[in-house]
Order: sequence, then structure tokens, then C-alpha cells
Amino acid sequence: MSLTDRIAQGLEAGWDVTDGATLAEDQTHEADVVVIGTGAGGGTTAEILAKSGLSVILVEEGRLYYQKDFKMDELTAYANLYQEGMSRVTRDGAIAILQGRCVGGSTTVNWTSSFRTPDETLTYWSERFGLDNLTPDAMAPWFEGREQRHSMAPWHMDPNVNNDILRQGCEKLGYRWQIIPRNVKGCWNLGYCGVGCPTNAKQGALMTTVPGALDHQARLFHGLRADRLVMNQDRIDHLQAMAMNADGVTPSGVTVTLKARHFVVAASAIGSPGLLLRSDVPDPHGRVGKRSFLHPVNATVAQMPEKVDPYYGAPQSVYSDEFNFKQGVDGPAGFKLEVPPLHPAVSAGVIPGHGQTQVDAMAGLPWTQSVIALLRDGFHPDSPGGTVSLRDDGSPVLDYPISDYLWDGLRQAYLTMAEIQFAAGARKVRLVHLDSEWYRSWAEARVAIETIAMEPHRVRLFTAHQMGGCGMGTDPKGSVVNGFGEHHHVSNLSVHDASIFPTSIGANPQLSVYALAARNSTRLAGKLAG
Amino acid sequence: MNDLPHARSPESGDLDRRSFLKTGMGGALFLGAVSVTAGLSGCATTPAGPREAVDLGPSDGYQFRFLTRDDVQLFHALLPAIIGPALTEQPEDRRQVIGSTIERIDAGISQFGPANQRELRRLFDLLNFGFTRVTIARVWSSWPNVTSAEADAFLERWRTSGIGLFNNGYIALTKISNVAFYGYRDHWHLSGYPGPPQWAIEALPHIKNA
Repeated sequence: MSLTDRIAQGLEAGWDVTDGATLAEDQTHEADVVVIGTGAGGGTTAEILAKSGLSVILVEEGRLYYQKDFKMDELTAYANLYQEGMSRVTRDGAIAILQGRCVGGSTTVNWTSSFRTPDETLTYWSERFGLDNLTPDAMAPWFEGREQRHSMAPWHMDPNVNNDILRQGCEKLGYRWQIIPRNVKGCWNLGYCGVGCPTNAKQGALMTTVPGALDHQARLFHGLRADRLVMNQDRIDHLQAMAMNADGVTPSGVTVTLKARHFVVAASAIGSPGLLLRSDVPDPHGRVGKRSFLHPVNATVAQMPEKVDPYYGAPQSVYSDEFNFKQGVDGPAGFKLEVPPLHPAVSAGVIPGHGQTQVDAMAGLPWTQSVIALLRDGFHPDSPGGTVSLRDDGSPVLDYPISDYLWDGLRQAYLTMAEIQFAAGARKVRLVHLDSEWYRSWAEARVAIETIAMEPHRVRLFTAHQMGGCGMGTDPKGSVVNGFGEHHHVSNLSVHDASIFPTSIGANPQLSVYALAARNSTRLAGKLAG
Repeated sequence: MNDLPHARSPESGDLDRRSFLKTGMGGALFLGAVSVTAGLSGCATTPAGPREAVDLGPSDGYQFRFLTRDDVQLFHALLPAIIGPALTEQPEDRRQVIGSTIERIDAGISQFGPANQRELRRLFDLLNFGFTRVTIARVWSSWPNVTSAEADAFLERWRTSGIGLFNNGYIALTKISNVAFYGYRDHWHLSGYPGPPQWAIEALPHIKNA
């Protein structure tokens, strides 16, 4: 492998990187700050703190995979790069959860969509949760800074056919659509973002902030599971961590103790509440793990007259916010419309069916187009989100009941997506739903969708966006951290990831996480230096 | 170890029947009880070991890490219905494709982690255990004797059932099978997927030389 790869180069140059699987005995290490998680929040935090001269240890449960491992193959990528080998689901199994589990976290496998937090969301937070200093104006410089750091810009090439069909349908119906900003540099327009970028074009944490931190003497332990934060009186004294075997799944029995002045938890909206619950960190009002949000996603697929080749080209480049905030921020459930890439394994897993039906559905893949709707959850009293709790073995699990309010939104989203696909010329459309047939016209689809059963397991639901569970707010009775991600009750503990969002975002969350983590880490660096 | 895969004491059978009656149509508690019983009975939850041991055609030395002999038989019976007409009729090839698909199902599950593995263990035990196979899945023969039509009828019952637990079981079985089958490079042609662009492979030494 040539040394054009940022990670291969750094390792060669002597970065302080330890694979937990190589550790043979228990040990203790110390730093100014221990950062748990290497995704959007953890990477940003580590880089900013390390650059300010603080000593930083980064802890990642997943393993370090980089260019040499990214071979555009779904089966190996899903097994290695995703939580629970891509089998993570909500407690009752009704919602599939796509989440990264590797250095760089979900930013290593996401589809590069890079949106600022919508103004409506920030304004709502300010009004509803007292987060007055998170207004759109106050946040603008932080978004701008992160857009530069991660090379975010509206996609400059023509959208692939898959995305263009969303554009065409919206045009026909007079719905607004726009081009998605992406965090890429020198992108080859291949379409393999979800299995790890093979050309290092994606400017996620793996290519930017994690190397930036390591260049400034941060230490990285990967294959190391953060088990428990251990308190001494009213402060965190150390993190107890478990080394994982090379399989990435089983602990080896070796423990690592990490001591620090400050601890930043950035282990995701499922991992962070999980860690705080395991650690029994003070939570007098029982807020940890509550108000967890998902942007529940439903989908329709269409057979188009022309070839779509939905596996090639930038996976997401066109979106529509026509229905996102249309009926007010806390009106009926709004949704953002986007397009998913369709490779064979993910299609075979998502499109429900067996036997001849499945053979036919798969044979049509080159002509298949799909639209997804991301529901904005958490803004309405009837959308209180889910709850993260611990299983008997200490692992976190999300219970997410789907309210009638959300079912109504999901049905509306089915209608809208089918309407758009027919407007764009679809020959037939079906819902990603156990009961759905192929519908030959918008009229036929509309009648069917009006009465189709909206029930868990029958409606196939997904999410790639986990948010909340350690929500921020000014009132400790209703939140876990303040508006700077600082824990209300433990002075040397911060949370820097999507778990601090008090509602969902209403857009793909990576830039929101980067920006808040940058803002909060800059403040933290100042405090710790003083 | 696999001499008595179906042997269970009469006491454990009674326990299962009582649990079943108590929790109605296969509640989580009941699934747990089946799993515990299977575990207590010893061999049923032991991974099947080397591929040679389970009669799946020519072996590449693969070692099963999660699926038991019973599970292998279960998928052997279900795959012809799930993959259906995409399977070749040529007997040796068919055996090979089914065998390697079951192998990839096992490899995939071994990355799922303990929590989801426990859920699948419950599901597979429920389907493998004679009493529950008949009462819950309404499959009368043991899996090696189930025809493709019977397997399809079972899948269809669980797909169209009004009970979410069965829909969920249907999704679990078909999803891991479909992913392991259609996601594999030898079967990409069935979905018209040409694979990663050749020009990119040529230009990326870490893939070209892999």
C-alpha cells in the first residue's frame, strides 16, 4: 500500500495507536482528557483539545479500519464497520438501526450529507429548552468553521439517476428540491460511501480530526470498550475499559484504566446514555436515556423505464424539504425526502420478501429507484421519543414505541413518495412494507396507502440517525447537560455527540454534531488550560 | 456431542408446555424458556463445528461459530423457499450454493454480538424444538423432511400473520438469508449488479492487488 493514505502515513510516522487486541496485561494510563468515541463528536473534541496543548486519550470500541480495508464489498463492510454487524434494532425489532462501529464512527460509513441544523430547530430549542445561545446567528460561525474543516460543499457533479428522479418528481409536482452539500475532497463519484470510502475522498473524522489529533500527540486505543466511569466523591476518577479480541465482539479479559482531569463522552446516542447508566453517574431526575430520537425512516421503491443503476454515483445529492416544516415546527410530523443507494445486499435485506417475489425484485435492481422519508421526531408532545436502557449484560438497547402521531406522518410520507415517483415516470411503485403489492398508477397506490396497515414489523422502518438520550437544557430537571454539553451534576464530565440534542435535528446530523462539538471543545480547552 | 440433539427430559417438555399455555402465542418469556431448556439439555446450542460435520458439500475448512447442527438443517429446509427459483437445480451446485450460503449466514451472525445472538438463539430453538415447531410454526415434519412448498407456506403464514412477533421472525429469517445470498459476489449477476466499476478497481492498487 502506498503512503498516500493519511492513516498509513501516520502509523508509519509513529502515531501513538494501540489495538486493544494486542494487549496482554492490565494497565493504567493518564492524560488531561479522555475522549470516549472517535466519531463526529469525539474526533472533533480530540483534535481541538490536542491542538490546544492538552494531552488526550481517545477510546474507540470498534477497530481501526482504513483505506487498505475499504474494498467496496458490502458483506465484509457490514460485518466489520457497523454496530452489531449491521443487525442493531430497537428493542422490539421494529426499527433497524444503521450505526458505525469503527474509528471515525458513523462518519466513516455515512453517505456524506452535510446539513446545518435547520433554523427552525435551533429556534425551537432556544424557546423550548432555554438554549438561548444556540440561535442560528450564534451557531453560524461554528457551522462555517466545520464546513471548511470537512470540505463541505453542494455536490457539483450531476446527480446520479437515482437522485435525479427525486428532482424530476418534485419539479413536476411543484415541490421544492435542492442539492445536498457533501463532505468530500476529490470524490470519484463511485457510490460506495456506505462501505468505507476506498479513495479517501470522504472527509469524515477518519480523514480529518482523528489524524489531526494524532498529529498532536493524542493517543488512540481502538478495540477498547469503555465499560464504566468510576466516581470518586463528586468527580469522575477514571474510566474502566475492556480490551476486545481481534474479532471485535468478545472482550479479551484485559482491562485498561484511564485516568484524567476531564472526561468527554462521545459514544453516540445509544452508547453514551448506555455508558452513563452503567456508570451510575448522578441522575437525580432520571433523565439519562430518555427522549431518544431516530428520524424514523420509511421507504418506497419504484421500477423506472430507464436504467437507474442505483449502486453507482454519489449516494445522496438531491433532497426535498417541502414537507419538513410545512405545517409548523410542532404540527403534524414533518419529513425530509432523500434517496438511498441500493447495493445488492442492503436491497435484499431491506426489501422484504422471499421466493419468486424476491427473485423478481432483485432482478429489477438496475431499474430500481428508492425514496426515503426521514420523520422529524421530538417536536410534538405526541412524539416523546424512546428510551435507552441496559440489558442484563450491560449493553444498551433502545425501546422506541411508534405513536399514532408518527404513524400518521409515515402514511403521509408513503403517499408523497409514491406520488413523486409516479410523477417522475415510474412504471410501478411499492412500499417497503410486508403487505405492499406493486402499484401501477398513482391512483391505485393512493387508494392502497390510505388503508394499508400501519403497524410495527409490517411497516419496515430504519434509521441511520440516533439522537438524544443525554439531552441539553437549562433546567436540570428535564435535561442531562447544559447548553455547552457540560454535565449538570458532575463537573469534570461533558457529552459531545448527538445524544445531547433535545429533539431530532430534521436533517442528517453530522454537521450539527461537528459544530456543537467544536464550540463546546473550544470552551472546554479554555477552561482546562486556565 | 450431537448424538442426542432432540433428546429432552419429559420434565422439560412439561415445563415448555406450561410456559406456552401461560404466555399464549409465544411471548418473549416463552421463547426464553425454550432457549433455557435447549441450553440445559446440553448439545443443542453447541456450534456445529467444522463444515465437514454437517454434510454441506465440499468443505473449505470453515468452522461454524454460531449455528448448531439443528440450525443448519433448519436453513437447509428454508433456503430453497427463501432463495427459491434463484437456486440452481443441478444437485451438486445446488448443494454447494446452499452450503456456502449457510456458511455466510453463520459468519454474519458471529459479528452480531451477544444480545442479538441470544434473540436468534431463541428463534432457532423455537423452530427446532418439535413441540413449538408444530404449535407455533405449524410445521408438522422435522426440518430435514420439510418440502420447499411446506417451507414456503410456513414463511407465508409468518409474513401475513397479524402477530408482530411472527412478522419479526419472518423478517429475521429472510433478511439474514437474502443478504447472505444476494450480497455474495457469485450471485451479484442475479440482481444485475456488475460489481464495483472496473476502472476504479484498476486505479486502486489496494483492491486490484487484493
